[in-house]
Amino acid sequence: MPRYDWRGLVRGMRMAFTIPGLVMAMSFLGFGALVRAMIFPLKGAVAMDVFMWALPGQVVYVDTLARGLTLLLALLAVTLTAVRLMPMVVLVLAQARLPGARRWPEYLAAHFIAATLWVMSEMYMDAVPRPQRVPWVIGLGLALMGGMVLSTVAGYYLTAQMPVPLAAMLVFFTPAFFILALFDGARSGADWAAIALGALIGPPVHLLWPEVDLLLAGVIGGTLAMLISRKAARTGRRRP
Amino acid sequence: MTAGMQAPEGPFQFLQAGMFTIDSPVWNEPAFWGAVILAGAVVTYVWRLLGVLLAARIDPDGIVLRWVRAVATALVAALVARMVLFPSGLLAEAPLAARIGGLLAGMLFWRFAGRRLALSIAVAAGVFLLLEYLFA
Repeated sequence: MPRYDWRGLVRGMRMAFTIPGLVMAMSFLGFGALVRAMIFPLKGAVAMDVFMWALPGQVVYVDTLARGLTLLLALLAVTLTAVRLMPMVVLVLAQARLPGARRWPEYLAAHFIAATLWVMSEMYMDAVPRPQRVPWVIGLGLALMGGMVLSTVAGYYLTAQMPVPLAAMLVFFTPAFFILALFDGARSGADWAAIALGALIGPPVHLLWPEVDLLLAGVIGGTLAMLISRKAARTGRRRP
Repeated sequence: MTAGMQAPEGPFQFLQAGMFTIDSPVWNEPAFWGAVILAGAVVTYVWRLLGVLLAARIDPDGIVLRWVRAVATALVAALVARMVLFPSGLLAEAPLAARIGGLLAGMLFWRFAGRRLALSIAVAAGVFLLLEYLFA
């Protein structure tokens, strides 16, 4: 029976202290600022960091609750934003899991997987030996989570004193990092097509169906990207 | 997703049960807070759980996984487009020119200055800040 090599845990923790970790901390500063602006308790926000660990869902949850809408409605909105975590967990674990090994580390690792960790695993996990990968994800996730709790608290207390343009720049790091990390990780025509189609389809879909915009843009854009790149590959191969 | 979300009318009116809104007294109870966080955690983790179960059944080199990758990629690209074109919170305080200009500057720098990720992000943020002050 294959076993995980838990030296990967420490290795993953060290990876948190990289540019992506720093960028992520910037956006959690923004979350702390939002929580304060919404007169939401800091303890609740920190608990969300630990137990939800998906920033868009946390923002939606805080925002919906603070607007005085009901808990059930807020949960519905949160679970819609969380659907996107499923493909990310599939992608990270497909590269990380040891078939035949004990399963519980996978269930734990999944809790830490969100957009940034997926992007980071695309960037760094190739260099990690296979038996160390699931522990690597858990270590990276734990270290990032500790950092993001600190960022949330710091954002709660600091951004109120910060000039608005500077605070806005902190939040801007996140979209800049996401798009450039996608560029950096693009390996095939399908990847580039998916980036372009997602960005093109996203805005009109957002105007039409804001509740499910990301899911629709992802599924439509990703499927079209696959079809286009397969067609291009087939016609390309036919030519001598 | 967040802006202007309204409680539905008709068959979903039960969702408006007043005792669950944040200005209700039950929110002062620690147990209720615990339940709120737990509920948020459950509706989030359920999709991750589904991901774990699927990952064990999908061929890691197969077409299904490549499709999943394309979907996740397009989804994150759409998220970026939404944050830049329809921002909320602090980012909404910045002018559109800064949000688009910063992103374009970062992408162009990445493309023409040796694909350096960290430096490109710094350029994007720097141009964003500059344009914020120019267009304010």
